[in-house]
Amino acid sequence: MKRSAAEIVREYGPFPGVEAVHGVTYDGTHVWFASGDKLNAVDPANGKIARSLDVAAHAGTAFDGRHLFQIAEDRIQKIDAATGAVVGTIPSPGGGGDSGLAWAEGSLWVGQYRERKIHQIDPDSGKILRTIESKRFVTGVTWVDGELWHGTWEGEDSDVRRIDPDTGKVLEQLDLPEGTMVSGLESDGGDRLFCGSGSAGKVRAVRRPGRR
Amino acid sequence: MESLITAAARALEAGDPLGALNRVALRNDAPSLALRGIAMAQLGDLAKAKTLLRSAARAFGPREAVARARCVVAEAEIALVLRDLSWPARMLAGARATLASHGDLANAAHAGHIEARHLLLLGRIDDAERALAEISVSPLPPASQVVRELVVAGIAIRRLKSRDARAALERAGKAARQANIPALVAEVDSANLILNTPAARLIARGSEHPLLLGEVERLATSTALVVDTFHHVVRKQGVAVSLGTRPVLFALARLLAQAWPADVSREALISVAFRAKHVDESHRARLRVEIGRLRTQLKPLADIRATKQGFELAPRKTRDVLVLARPVEEKHAAVLAILADGEPWSSSALALALGMSARTVQRALEELARSNKVQSFGQGRARRWMTPPVPGFPTGLLLPGPLLKA
Repeated sequence: MKRSAAEIVREYGPFPGVEAVHGVTYDGTHVWFASGDKLNAVDPANGKIARSLDVAAHAGTAFDGRHLFQIAEDRIQKIDAATGAVVGTIPSPGGGGDSGLAWAEGSLWVGQYRERKIHQIDPDSGKILRTIESKRFVTGVTWVDGELWHGTWEGEDSDVRRIDPDTGKVLEQLDLPEGTMVSGLESDGGDRLFCGSGSAGKVRAVRRPGRR
Repeated sequence: MESLITAAARALEAGDPLGALNRVALRNDAPSLALRGIAMAQLGDLAKAKTLLRSAARAFGPREAVARARCVVAEAEIALVLRDLSWPARMLAGARATLASHGDLANAAHAGHIEARHLLLLGRIDDAERALAEISVSPLPPASQVVRELVVAGIAIRRLKSRDARAALERAGKAARQANIPALVAEVDSANLILNTPAARLIARGSEHPLLLGEVERLATSTALVVDTFHHVVRKQGVAVSLGTRPVLFALARLLAQAWPADVSREALISVAFRAKHVDESHRARLRVEIGRLRTQLKPLADIRATKQGFELAPRKTRDVLVLARPVEEKHAAVLAILADGEPWSSSALALALGMSARTVQRALEELARSNKVQSFGQGRARRWMTPPVPGFPTGLLLPGPLLKA
């Protein structure tokens, strides 16, 4: 396993009226984050909130190219990113113990926090297709270039780690500075990973180490 | 953090404990137990809240020290409201240190305030003040400011410093309105009431009248010789003779001061100061010894002269002698004074606060109950005592700020 200190490239926020960041996603232009009763789109160029949708947003956030998916209470809402309308709802696999959310390969991937699990589910029915065990509490999940990354938050420790999707084995780990929390994780498809920061109310961009 | 936990925590913060319970009522993981505990406390079921918070503290893992410490602080606050004064202070100090070292300064300050209130209730004024001084003040949320100022006022009132008390209560009132918590506003109001209720009785030349706290304070600058039954001292301006450890000498001084400028007969002195029913020669001999001792003690302030009947006080360089006494000096006044806070007390907590034996307190309570001055509810160890309740008495429950956040 490769282990190194996370390199924080940039910080966005804190934003006025935002107490905490619960989930993060990226639509190719904006970084979206969940702040309890809103989904907010941040322009990564200037760090300002460009748009906000009034929707319950308690945990993970994901984007499939057209819809935003947002965990609220014990369900996952499917939201039309253009209009902000909730177009569908499925039960969440952890029954409310859910934390992170990602979209990849036609499936939703859901972190179940205290159970230390990541579920792959059918985005239409919510049916669990398979489950990956992690060693730590899972907060955010993302896929990039065939790599499965997730954020952990256990007590006062957080890190971002890449795991083997078949065995759950940790392949790479980026440690955040002491007292820095990770809630929500999303890749920009390149070398940046966007991390929510819990009650610090910020979104951080962390460098994804290059492959050689 | 988890979705439902976030939703429940947000409901709690928005003042909707039932909404919070709805979301986590059937879950038994650590954060759910903690949220249920806080919700139950807000709904007034303190016993249930205590159990839940204790289970939560146990259920949090070894890496979750901050979450566990917040549970301990919440439990300590509930213990304070329940007047469970034997609750382990050591645990609270530990939790406070954990919170401070992890940067949760708001909750660390809250823990410090609970510690100071606990000490104030126990009558350990200096310790309470020290605990308060250790709390860093700068970014305190308004609700915490109210608590802080209430403790400051409590200390000032116990020390009979009305101007300090008034100033603290004014600041507390301002912060309470800013926090917009009705229970806190009510608590400040009832504390204000104390300042406008007689705090003492003044006895001089055989007559007496009630004194407000401010008037008591002004006595400190008067040129009269004051026998102060609050602090068991005899003083005049800056000079004070403490008789706190000499109850017989103090009783004699008080009798002489109350009668001044008249004298007091030997029989009266003996029967009151020695609590003797029949006066005999050995009592007279003892009185001579004790008067001798008192004369030595009071030398800087007054002389004691023998008269035909007994003894009289002869104050130096003043034409006034005053006795400052408690407003009510009935038997068990100390017990009643503590119960006057309107909260339910266990007899063991009263004993701790008064420094008396549990049995003595128990006897006093039973006697007071017979004359309907106090009432009890509950049985056995759960039995609590209170004075007939005043309307809308506050619980003083704030609980640690945002327990769980993602």
